[in-house]
Amino acid sequence: MSRPGRDDAPDRLYTLTQGRSRSGPDNPFDLVTLVVAECDPVPGMQSEHAAILRLTGRPAAVVEIAAELELPVSITRILLSDLLAAGRVSARHPRKAAVPDPDILEQVLVGLRNL
Amino acid sequence: MTSPLLPGDRPTPRSLLPVPLLTAVLAAVAVTAVVLLGPESARGPLAAAGVTAALLLCAAVTVAAHAVLSARAARGRLEAVTQDVGRLLQERTRLAEDLAAERDRRTEQHDAATARLARELAEERARLTDDHAAELKRLTEEHAARTDRLTQEHTEEQARLSGERDRLAQDRDRLVAEGARLAARLREANNARAAALSATANAAGRMQALSTGMLADLRAMEDKHHDEEVLADLLHLDHRTAQAGRLADSVAVLTGARSGRRWARPIGMESILRGAMGRINGYQRVRAHSTSDIAVAGHAAEGVMHALAELLDNAANFSPPTAEVHVYVEEVPAGVIVSVEDSGLVMGEAQLRRAERAVSGESTGLGGLTGTRLGLTVVGRLARRYGLRISYRPSARGGTGVLMLVPQDILVSPDAPRPPAADATTTTAAPPVTAAPPVTATPAFPTATPAPSTSPADEIPAATASEPSALRLPRRRGTLPADEPARPTDGVEPETRHAASYDTAPAERGATPSATSRPAPAPGHSYAASRAGADDLDPDPVPTHESPARGTDASLLSLPRRRRGRTLAEAERTRSAGRTAVQRPAPTAEETKARTARFSSFRQAVRATTPDDTTAEAAADAGTTAGTSGTTPDQTSEPRTTEPRTTPMTPEGDTTS
Repeated sequence: MSRPGRDDAPDRLYTLTQGRSRSGPDNPFDLVTLVVAECDPVPGMQSEHAAILRLTGRPAAVVEIAAELELPVSITRILLSDLLAAGRVSARHPRKAAVPDPDILEQVLVGLRNL
Repeated sequence: MTSPLLPGDRPTPRSLLPVPLLTAVLAAVAVTAVVLLGPESARGPLAAAGVTAALLLCAAVTVAAHAVLSARAARGRLEAVTQDVGRLLQERTRLAEDLAAERDRRTEQHDAATARLARELAEERARLTDDHAAELKRLTEEHAARTDRLTQEHTEEQARLSGERDRLAQDRDRLVAEGARLAARLREANNARAAALSATANAAGRMQALSTGMLADLRAMEDKHHDEEVLADLLHLDHRTAQAGRLADSVAVLTGARSGRRWARPIGMESILRGAMGRINGYQRVRAHSTSDIAVAGHAAEGVMHALAELLDNAANFSPPTAEVHVYVEEVPAGVIVSVEDSGLVMGEAQLRRAERAVSGESTGLGGLTGTRLGLTVVGRLARRYGLRISYRPSARGGTGVLMLVPQDILVSPDAPRPPAADATTTTAAPPVTAAPPVTATPAFPTATPAPSTSPADEIPAATASEPSALRLPRRRGTLPADEPARPTDGVEPETRHAASYDTAPAERGATPSATSRPAPAPGHSYAASRAGADDLDPDPVPTHESPARGTDASLLSLPRRRRGRTLAEAERTRSAGRTAVQRPAPTAEETKARTARFSSFRQAVRATTPDDTTAEAAADAGTTAGTSGTTPDQTSEPRTTEPRTTPMTPEGDTTS
């Protein structure tokens, strides 16, 4: 579902999540959690759920999904936890090695400042 | 012989017979004697003569006898007749006597009767005359009495009626005065009602604009703040604002003002349901079951959402706080049926009838409204406007079920050509939307209102006059392509995308009253004033910039075009910035003069329509927003050819960005 404008759809965010605004404490999703769809969208599904399932045909990070849906990350996490509870998606945390070395980060920072 | 003889009178031959026989005998003797006595010689002749004479004698005697007998018979008859005559004469005499006696008797009787009758007549006449006199006298007396009485009564009645007439005349004067007073009061009341309605509609429009702007703000903040606590609070505020917006929409509908915002594209049924749910308090109890991907046309989507929100609110309010309200969507040949089923109170017969009447939209009056029961009347109005049909029935869930039929003519099939089809052409027609530097550099909310008086006319050509789509039907200006390169920085991006996505349907906007009643603001009014004035009439949170690169001098004779949500002066300003950016050649003096004259006449014509309230309102709005628009007055004198700046953070511009 494309959201070309800031407020280009009449449905408010709280109606997407049935009023929930925070995910549970055991929510496994953070910004970089990779999400993979476990099934295809079915008719009657909430359109955001269907969009998430279409997006995560290939693994996608939570923040990517949120950007594509143009929804706040918190809302996206609630939607994802719904899907996870229904078994429609699975979450996979990136490996620890993927976290860059602090030296590299520092070099990047220096490089950015030099721009 | 001539007299008539009776048969008895004629002598019979038998009575005549002896006479001739006797005669014959005598004659025979005489003849015989003579013959015998006479000479012998003379005997022969003598005998012959004697025989002849004898025969003659016999015949004469017979005749004589016959005559004698006849005379005797005639005499006898004569005597009989004479006797008859005598008898008859006697009879006649007797009869004459009788007649005379009778006549005398009758005459006496007649005289007696005549005398008696005359006497009786005289008596009768005397009696009747007496009676008549008495009656006449009595009647005369009665008449006199009656006439006196009637005269008296008449006089009394006349006096009474005269008094009555005076009283009625007084009443009439009083009633005429009362009628005049009531007419004046009615006129005043009507005026007051119209003014109140108008003011309420205006206020509702402002409330709608405010709530729409607040919703856009909240949506922006929800994107901005990632803290879950803040998000929860923002969502709470969002919910409250949506409900306030629904109330403002209701007031606007009831006062006959424009309803809500108009969506530029069809709204899918899921979004319709969620948009309706988001406007009621108990939305968490609403369960939507929709597999339909049909959409409602943009112009009617807000009305359908609003009506559905009111129905959902009723269902949620009149069912137990823990019960769920289920919404089903079903496509039928006539359109789409949205059914709202609750498990709450079953409506009684009278309630059901009242509700049916309210939602039928037949009674358009505002009478009978109560402050807390606006919903069904609003639904009725909306149903009348958009052709919705709403009916009630008992729900299988134990409560009340409402069926809302959305007619086919405001539905858009999902496989119909969608506006994105126009995106490509529009994007190619106006490629420099993001590529040209002036786009991101153009002041999104220029705060100066220079109102040029020397050469405004060369800005009249519509900014989009060079577009091939300028003469086409209104359509969606198009979203940016997904692969749009080098998206601008975060501060500018949503606005340019707004410009691309919201800038739709100029003709439709032109049809609304706001387009004609909102002329260019007078010189000296700040942008804040014109902006606020525009917001009053335009609930849509529409960004106010467009690509100035479209502005060319292709058509100098076309009128200025006002985009959604902005004023004419601003359009000129933006175009002027674009014109500066593309370095158009300066017009000659004659051209400038002619254009100036044309433009000033146009402005006068526009301003003459509503000169008072627009300027007054703009001034009032300028006063109210002056406190918040701190930078506005400083920049009113800024030349419009100022250096392109990055988007300033205008004070109330947040409502749309």
